[in-house]
Amino acid sequence: MKGMTIIVKTISSWVKVLIFLFGIYIIIFGHLTPGGGFAGGVILASSYVLLMLAYGREFAEKNLSLPVASKLDCLGAFLFALIAILGLVLGGSFFVNFLYQKYLPGQALNLISAGTIPLSNIAIGLKVGASLFLVILSLSICCKDFRPDMSANKEE
Amino acid sequence: MPYALCLLLFVIGLYCAVVKKNMVKIVIGIMVMEYAVNLFLIMLGYRTGGIAPIIDRGHLELETGQIAATFLSSSVDPLPQALVLTAIVISLGSLALMISICIRTYGKYGTFDITEIRRLRG
Repeated sequence: MKGMTIIVKTISSWVKVLIFLFGIYIIIFGHLTPGGGFAGGVILASSYVLLMLAYGREFAEKNLSLPVASKLDCLGAFLFALIAILGLVLGGSFFVNFLYQKYLPGQALNLISAGTIPLSNIAIGLKVGASLFLVILSLSICCKDFRPDMSANKEE
Repeated sequence: MPYALCLLLFVIGLYCAVVKKNMVKIVIGIMVMEYAVNLFLIMLGYRTGGIAPIIDRGHLELETGQIAATFLSSSVDPLPQALVLTAIVISLGSLALMISICIRTYGKYGTFDITEIRRLRG
């Protein structure tokens, strides 16, 4: 996979930053507007997939290598479970919104409001973005030596 | 009538998954079936002229009881939407699994035709 022509490379190098920022916006404002962790995570992953399609797999792997993506994936799942367990410890039941009840009673419809829901959205976005990137990366690695063995067919 | 169209979409997907010989077409048929089911669940919670189930600043100027009343009387049902969002995530995972199975099978056999994939080969 060598990547595409110079036009596609230039345009995608401009656009990828905007797509990444839009994904972060969707995640952070997930409790106020439509969107949230899953949609924003898919957008984050799609910016890296655009990079992979335009520049080839090696370039995208150099930007976000496979062990780093795997660690981000695990970090997202760990943060989400940590928020849930903290709700159990501090609030008395699983996934209770302990920040909203005790420490941060902020105004509704502000950016900093709703307690642990934005934190959960960030954790889910990290998890979904990293794991979707991992899925497409491993599919393209699967395609790497993609020659059906014709010599074995002729022998039979 | 919309439910009948939804059933028609489901039957199209079922036909594609059962009759076609190409593995990629079978995967497409299964995904069409899943989207038909998602569409059915969304239509269960729809009401004519309903708004999206989001409370915005216009709602907050009212009293708390009035917020609940206007929200209940004007918005569509948010529960099937949350359910369908989860179903979409799961269908994404199963789609990735099916596509990877197709890729490995093509690498092993050199064809997508399921009538030619018969013998077990190491």
